[in-house]
Amino acid sequence: MRIKWQAAIFTAALALTFAGCGGGEKPAPESSTAPASAPAGGGAAVDATTAGSVSGTVNLDSPAPTFKAINMSAEAFCSKAHTSAVMPEDVVTGDKGALANVVVYVKDDMSKYSFDTPKDPVALDQRGCMYSPHVVALMAGQTIEVKNDDQTTHNIHPTPKDNREWNQSQPPGAAPLDETFARGEVAIPVKCNVHPWMKGYIAVFKHPFFAVTTKDGKFELKGLPPGTYTIEAWQEKYGVVDQQVTIGPKDSKTVSFTFKAAGATGD
Amino acid sequence: MADLPPNAPKDPIVTSSFSTPLMICSVLLMITVAWSLWDEMYGLRPWRAYQTRFAKAYATYLDKEVGRQKKLESDVYSAPEYKKLAAEADFLEAAAKAKDDAIAKQIAVLDSQRAAIGDAFKDARGKIGHLVYMLEIVPEKDKSEKESRLKDLNEAKAGTWKVDWPTADGSIEKDKKFTADQLNDTFTSLMAERAKLVAERGDNDAAGKVARAKANVYLSDHLPGLSAAALEGLRTSARDWDETLIQINVNPSGSSINNLGGAGLVDRCQSCHIGTDQKLVPPQLTLTKADLGMAKSNDAPFTSHPEPDLIKTHTLERFGCSPCHGGNGRAIDSVTRGHGRYEHWLWPLYYRENFDAGCQQCHAADMVTDHAEVLNHGRQLYRQRGCIGCHRYQGFDNQDEQLVSARQQITQLGSDKLQDELDIPRLQKLGDNAPDNEAANRYYAQANNLTVSVSRIDAQSAELERRSHTLLEEIKKVGPDLKDARLKLRKEWIPYWIGHTHEFRPTTKMPQFRLADDQVQAIAAFVWQSGITSPVLEHQPAGNATHGKELFEERGCLACHSMGEGANKMGGTFAANLSRVGEKENYDYIVRWVHNPRQRTRPYCPYEKRDLGPEDYAKHNLPYVFDLDHSKCPNDGHELAVQQPTVMPSLRLSIEDARDIASYLITQKHPDASYAAADYMDDPALKPKGEELVKHFGCAGCHEISGLEDEGRIGTELTNEGSKPIERLDFALYTEDAKRGVLPDGKPSIRNGHEVAWFDSKGFFEHKLENPGVYDQGKYHSNPMDALRMPKPNLYEPGDLEALVTFLLGSTDPTLPQEYMYKPQDRRRYVQEGWWVVTKYNCIGCHQIGIGQRSILMDLPMYQAENKQNLPPVLTTEGARVNPEWLKGFLANPSLSTTDTNRNGVRSYLQVRMPTFYLSDDEIRKLVLFFEAMSSQPEPYIQPKPPAITDTERAMARDLFTSPAAPCLKCHATGNAEHDKNAIAPNFLLAKDRLQTPWTTRWITDPAKIIPGTAMPSGLFKRDGDHWVFTGPVPTALQHYTGDQADLLVRYMFNLTPQEQAALVGRTPTSTKSSGNGGN
Repeated sequence: MRIKWQAAIFTAALALTFAGCGGGEKPAPESSTAPASAPAGGGAAVDATTAGSVSGTVNLDSPAPTFKAINMSAEAFCSKAHTSAVMPEDVVTGDKGALANVVVYVKDDMSKYSFDTPKDPVALDQRGCMYSPHVVALMAGQTIEVKNDDQTTHNIHPTPKDNREWNQSQPPGAAPLDETFARGEVAIPVKCNVHPWMKGYIAVFKHPFFAVTTKDGKFELKGLPPGTYTIEAWQEKYGVVDQQVTIGPKDSKTVSFTFKAAGATGD
Repeated sequence: MADLPPNAPKDPIVTSSFSTPLMICSVLLMITVAWSLWDEMYGLRPWRAYQTRFAKAYATYLDKEVGRQKKLESDVYSAPEYKKLAAEADFLEAAAKAKDDAIAKQIAVLDSQRAAIGDAFKDARGKIGHLVYMLEIVPEKDKSEKESRLKDLNEAKAGTWKVDWPTADGSIEKDKKFTADQLNDTFTSLMAERAKLVAERGDNDAAGKVARAKANVYLSDHLPGLSAAALEGLRTSARDWDETLIQINVNPSGSSINNLGGAGLVDRCQSCHIGTDQKLVPPQLTLTKADLGMAKSNDAPFTSHPEPDLIKTHTLERFGCSPCHGGNGRAIDSVTRGHGRYEHWLWPLYYRENFDAGCQQCHAADMVTDHAEVLNHGRQLYRQRGCIGCHRYQGFDNQDEQLVSARQQITQLGSDKLQDELDIPRLQKLGDNAPDNEAANRYYAQANNLTVSVSRIDAQSAELERRSHTLLEEIKKVGPDLKDARLKLRKEWIPYWIGHTHEFRPTTKMPQFRLADDQVQAIAAFVWQSGITSPVLEHQPAGNATHGKELFEERGCLACHSMGEGANKMGGTFAANLSRVGEKENYDYIVRWVHNPRQRTRPYCPYEKRDLGPEDYAKHNLPYVFDLDHSKCPNDGHELAVQQPTVMPSLRLSIEDARDIASYLITQKHPDASYAAADYMDDPALKPKGEELVKHFGCAGCHEISGLEDEGRIGTELTNEGSKPIERLDFALYTEDAKRGVLPDGKPSIRNGHEVAWFDSKGFFEHKLENPGVYDQGKYHSNPMDALRMPKPNLYEPGDLEALVTFLLGSTDPTLPQEYMYKPQDRRRYVQEGWWVVTKYNCIGCHQIGIGQRSILMDLPMYQAENKQNLPPVLTTEGARVNPEWLKGFLANPSLSTTDTNRNGVRSYLQVRMPTFYLSDDEIRKLVLFFEAMSSQPEPYIQPKPPAITDTERAMARDLFTSPAAPCLKCHATGNAEHDKNAIAPNFLLAKDRLQTPWTTRWITDPAKIIPGTAMPSGLFKRDGDHWVFTGPVPTALQHYTGDQADLLVRYMFNLTPQEQAALVGRTPTSTKSSGNGGN
């Protein structure tokens, strides 16, 4: 710093008498603690040699409720695409009460690990004016490829709570739509405003420990590092149920979930 | 020395010394000098230490930033995308360079040639011009002179000029000869050639320039903020920081701006708050405490201004700091003095929670001010919680005052007219009997003049009557009409309510009065006995409560009302919580109210000062009909109050629906509710006492009460309350406690984490609002009516108290000059005026109007995720969307029909209902101008020519409209009941009158840009060159259409007829040639 005239006079004045009478009382410097921001990129990769898995089945405690068939008469193409009545997919069950379209996932915060986003896109087809599959799950940042196999214009309108909302029209024969979701959310409703019966769900996760049950009600979460987790199962009509599970190194645990049809607070 | 006698006195000169005292004095002097020097430089200048600390921390922060930015820059510069762009630009620029250089050289030669002949050319042109003129002025007949001058001219033309001519190879051709014509031709051709070359040069390097611009855009996209070089520059200034006083001479060239009333304002705040100095910390950097590593420090005033947008409109040069924040801008010797927090400084710095108070001084005419959420909330509370009922505030709803003034004027004009009408025959008579014609004519003229004046008075009175009609429509009271108390309320409930207001309804607007039991009884008795008893209410059959609940939740009641208590509460706070409405109200009354809340039992005549009944109408053989179209008093012809003074609109429900809702509401009560009998309410002896109390407590400020219609506001005006000097605020027995920082409850007063005195306006307001009787404590009143009257306002939400205190603190007598007041004259004025109407009727309960503003409905559970499409429309671009002429009609009658009114005029598919507000013409005008101004529309609106369409185009558009790529009619209503079951968008037939074409084109091509999350999909069109085409397969007829398809569709829409539309419904898609990879 340059010498300032004030300081010069001050020093000179002091020099006339005793040295160092009353040094400048400067405020104590800040204790400069480094900002406690988390290191970028999450953390270490999961050690594959010790990783375990959780598998199991999801059931419904009683027979699935009956639904009224979808009326597609508003769109000639859609009704022609089906030879039999099309049922809503709010509750789809298989043999012995196995419940399909349930998203099973690790509920805990897994940000201490880092995961690679899968390169392969997840497909969401619009076929016969229905979403196929009805429920898809993917990782944040992973591409979802929306295809229109129908000879009618659809619009894909996810209505998320925590992600960016968009609403894109897709005429017949248009190229597939590639989109991503940046934030974890279970589950984003998707609908087609043109064909109001078309409904589906997209579940987005920050980690790869999720699965969607098929008609056999089975799921498997692979590659889980040892630890205690809350495993949650989500169904669009019946909400969520969860269970604690502890996995040791190279452990394989089995859990099963049962949704109660009665008293469900559907959406 | 030895010769001195032994007993001689000692010579003080040689034996004693003052050196010790002198030494001490000298030391003291030196210490004093040192101390005074230290004090001069540091003690009185605490800002020096602040600056040193800041400079050090800032330099460290910039070190990090420079490193980060350098890394980022090198990453971006070495990114393959940028390299490719840069290489392309380099290549194109290099490719163009040879030609560019050649052209530049040619241009240089041309320029030197032009310069060389310039003088000669001007000289020749001047000379020839002169000779031509001389020739032309000679008359035709003067042949010889003409010939002689012609000869001169020809000689001049034959003459030559010598020019040193530069050639293309760089040499100079000395003394090249040019005739005048040659000079002219050469000059013209030089100019033409140069223009050609410049154009050629532009074409030559166009591609390079475009590529370079692309590369630069990439850089600016990936390198936001300041460059590393700029940051390094800042770091140098931080490292070399020379402690210096920083001061702003506010508005140096303008008139005096000052909170002292003298010469200009000087703010030295930045000497400590150095982070707000924009030269040192440019606006691109937002410096937080954490950035400087001082996150936890309580003493680090170094952040940059957290609202850079505010600083853009309120520049430091014009506004300084203290006009907005308060404080003593000149004082720099201590924090307390600088912040003006000592007893006799009139403008202490606002505390953080009251920062917005600083806006009010200039923005007093605003209902809503950007960036001032706390202040906006305070204003809203002042208006809605009924403060306005007792306390006048300049600019706040003062229609009642205007009405009184209009009535007075009407009365005055009436007596003027009477006088004139008496004078006219008198003057005429004087004229008849005048001694001469001149005098007679003078009298007649005077009489005639008076006749004209009378007709003028008539016109003026008519206008005042019209104005009264409007004002009567606009006057709203905060509380309900108590004239209907007897028809509406359960008798025993009334005294309970008066005594336990906030217990019965914790979110009510009504304040809690401090009343003794006998006072409660007297007031209840007065209210009961002064209520109207006839005509009696029509008896209503019961409705379906289940359907009523559905309607209540679907029609939008929750935008204003809430339902449920505690954690179950849902809905808006604008109007009453209806959880216990069944305990207090009468079913028949609720039915009438829900069906039409504006319906009065009896109209009120402000001239006769009484409510009229059927008997008054019968006297004049008139039916007992009074509404906005029948608003004249049958007795005296003046305007009546024909509506309830409530803001609650009519939802245009059928009487059956109203019964269903009322049946639901009547079930809303606590199962164990019981009320003590109150027979005393019929005791006539209590009525006069009750009336006295009702007047004393100013109940008529918020309620309409029989006999008290003209009662004024009883409280003190608060327009300038924030400027009240401290000695005029009566802290009563708490004065000493306030100065010592002891709160009324005995606890220490704490602000910003420090124990401080509360002997200031803020402290006074806070405790007054918290407990309005607080300053009575410890006092003895011989007459209980002398006690403080102010009731306890219901400030139940956290932040309510702070907001109201902020508003009051900001309500100051302006010290700034007039030109600082925010009174815009352009379209911002319409925005300002419109907000008063928007907030008066709570339009924002249902609609999003401002960007980023949320409506009440948007946050209700029934409007989430996919159900968002059931929300009322977003109005952020309403002014650009609709034709303002149409909007006027719509606001007056949202059903757009005179017969079929139980529906929405535009969005018939929505369950939530746009109600009829019975807005006055003035309010409609203000709203329309508001929406136009919000969307930057010009005023007045000029209706554009309707867009035309040819028959060929119509046929093409029809094909396009029904092609599979255009699913328009799937969602848009058509008026066909079967089809409209699934409709979620308005009928296209409305477009012509309702919409504006430019907005419509923007909407169909990118709706998500206008309303993110809309059900209308994006991507229906794509850009092809300079026009829009359909994204999907296009019908065969349009394969060769080269026009803009979005424009075609809009024109088709604006020319749609009902017949055409009816033909479209059910039309099979026309054949399309697939343009994609889909295939059939």
